Parts: sequence; C-alpha cells; structure tokens
Amino acid sequence: MTEQDLALAGNYVLGLLEGAELASFEQALARDGDLRAAVDRLQQQFHALDDTATPAEASPALWAAISHQLDGAPSATVVPLKSRRSTAGKLAQWYGLAASVVLALGLGYAVGSMTSAQPKPTVIAVLLNESNATPGAIIEAFADDSVRLVPLEDFALAAGQVLEVWTLPNAETGPVSLGTFTDTETLRLSGPKLPTPRDGQLYEITVEQAPRSATGKPTGPILVKGFAKAPI
Amino acid sequence: MLPTMSQTLDTDALLSRIANGDRDALGQLFQSEAGRLIAIAMRIVRRRELAEEVVQETFVAAWQRARQFDPTRGSARGWLTTITRNRALNLLRDGARLEYHDGETLAEMGDRSGDAMSAFQALSDRDALKHCLAQLDEPKRRAILLCYVTGLNHGEAAATLNKPLGTVKAWIRRGVLTLQECLA
Repeated sequence: MTEQDLALAGNYVLGLLEGAELASFEQALARDGDLRAAVDRLQQQFHALDDTATPAEASPALWAAISHQLDGAPSATVVPLKSRRSTAGKLAQWYGLAASVVLALGLGYAVGSMTSAQPKPTVIAVLLNESNATPGAIIEAFADDSVRLVPLEDFALAAGQVLEVWTLPNAETGPVSLGTFTDTETLRLSGPKLPTPRDGQLYEITVEQAPRSATGKPTGPILVKGFAKAPI
Repeated sequence: MLPTMSQTLDTDALLSRIANGDRDALGQLFQSEAGRLIAIAMRIVRRRELAEEVVQETFVAAWQRARQFDPTRGSARGWLTTITRNRALNLLRDGARLEYHDGETLAEMGDRSGDAMSAFQALSDRDALKHCLAQLDEPKRRAILLCYVTGLNHGEAAATLNKPLGTVKAWIRRGVLTLQECLA
C-alpha cells in the first residue's frame, strides 16, 4: 500500500473525504481487499473514541417512532430524500461509483445481452446501497419507457410496505414513479411516458406505504440509487 | 465505556436474529445500543432531536440491512457505530438543515473541542489508540480528534484551531500516517 493510500484511508476513517475523492476511494475499497482490511482495522481502533461517549437515556418515544416506521404507519420522522438537495459533489460521488460498478460488471453483462434476442436497453444503472455502496439492483431502461429490474439483494419489507422505483428525468419534472413491487425478483415495469432515458439519469428505489407513495413523490427511505450510463 | 466480550457477542447474535425478521431482537438491540448511539451522534450533530433522528434512521437501516452485516469485517456494535456516524456526518454536511457554518457560536465550537479532548482523555491507558495519539504533537492530535469525534471537516477544524487550512490539512495527513504506523 502506498503512502497516499494510507493517507486517504486515514482521512476516510476521519470522515474527511468528500465528492470525487470519496467516490474514487470507495471504488478502490471495493476492488482492494488489503485496503479494505486496513480501513476496517483503523475504523475499529477509532471506535474506542466513540465508546467513550456517556450513553444518553433512550426514550420510549424514540422506540415507538422506530416501531411505527417499521409497521408501515406514517412515521413521525420522514426520512428526507437526500438526492433532491444533493450537491454537485454528491452527484459526482454517486456517478463515479455507479460508473465503476458498470465497468466491473461490463464484460459478463455485455455477453449476456448480446446472446439474448431482447432489444438493447438505452441506459443501464447499477443502484448502490446508501449505507455501504454495494450494488443492490440493476435497472435497464428501454426506449419504450419500460424498465427491467434485476434485484441483487433481498429487500426486507414490513407488512403494508412496497418498494417503489423512481427516476429523475430532469430537475423540472422531479422524481417520477416507474412502478412498485414487493417480491424481490427480476421484473419489468412499463413506466409512464417519459423522455428517452439519458446518460447520468438518476434511478432509485424507496420504501413506501402500499399501494404506492401517497404524494406521488418519494417519501420513504432510499434503499438503493444510481446513475445511468448508456451501454457501449 | 468499554464493551465487554459478552456485550459484543450478544450484539452479533441479536443482529443475526434481526436478519431473520425478529422484531423483539430489534427491541433488545435498541435497549442495549440506542443510548450509546445517541451520545455518539450528539457529539456530531449537537442537538438531541437531530441525534434521535440519526438513531431512528440507524435502527431502520439495521432492520432493513441486517443481512448485509459481514462479521468478518468487524463487530455488530462497530457496524452500528459506523452507520450512526455516517448518518450524523451526512446531516452535519447538509448545510440546508443545520446552517452550522454561519450559525454555530464560539461557545458551541468550544464545546466541540471539549468533547474531542475528553474523548481522548477517557480512552483506557491500555488502548493502543491512546498511546499512539499521545505520541503525536498536540496540534495534530487536536485536529484529528476534532474531525473524528465531532465530525468537523478540514475547513471547520482550521477555523476552530485558528490556523490556515493548508496547515491543518498537512497536520492531519501527517498525523494519520504516523498513527497508522504506530498502530500497525
């Protein structure tokens, strides 16, 4: 590991990397097991500082709010949709990550698409987990407004909740729902009439109350999100 | 407060029950961990209601993502700590809500310094991190603690320490390299 790797690992654990620098470091983390091990170790060592905090009293009201949210009742604290007020830096960060995963998956993926008789998607987005930046789903968006969704992990849902797929064709239109689903399986959503999906378009999946978000906009927590890229 | 071995194992066991959809296990996790996580978030977001919001998000994430927890990469307590810290840092960096950069008073900045230094003092003398932090020059140690414990970024740390940004960046870079060498 180079000195620069170690310096970045230190800054990462301190929470000091942002924007493009954070994105490229997280890409390196995903690729490099030694770097990941070094970061995990340093993070654990620094957790000793967190453990010096004198625990606060956790109120029953807080547990009630958590339970309520998981039960699918309207939650006391609505988790904000961070992407709506994302800074350019954050966008760059996600874009960088999504792009790298697309590259990583690219070869096997291209072989799969070429041997099938299906039409070629206009764009493909790899949606990443908000918490640990691992791939959670792939979306292929087609020119006929439909999307094919391939979940890569099992999303846990409480009773009365659905997963809702969103895209942001442009800032003026705002987030548009492409459809909802509950079972984690590959599926096709027909989607409303929208402009042709473009490079860099945002896709995300949120948890909403069944049958779908009451406001027509994402209100629940974002599980995964990513930016689209046109296949070569 | 140092976790005991049994606490660590209990938390790992709870998380695997949570991964199987056991809501009681989540309640037990809340009982044992929520107070600690609120305190960690408070050092970063400074306000109780924001810290509770962070911890609420943490438990919802724990419920939804327990299956992604990888015990080979660390303990369940550490996993929760990292989620809480990341959420708190996101909230802090989200100027639209907090307006820290303009709104934080000198007294509040002083509180951050106090929290950062008392976290260091409270580390056990047997802790390698304490030993290695103690080897650093005082300004480097202070800069690193301000950033880690209270979530300041380079610019905020420079303002708090009343030093040029470039100087503080260089201190932190040197400091984390020396620390890793010492901890290895």
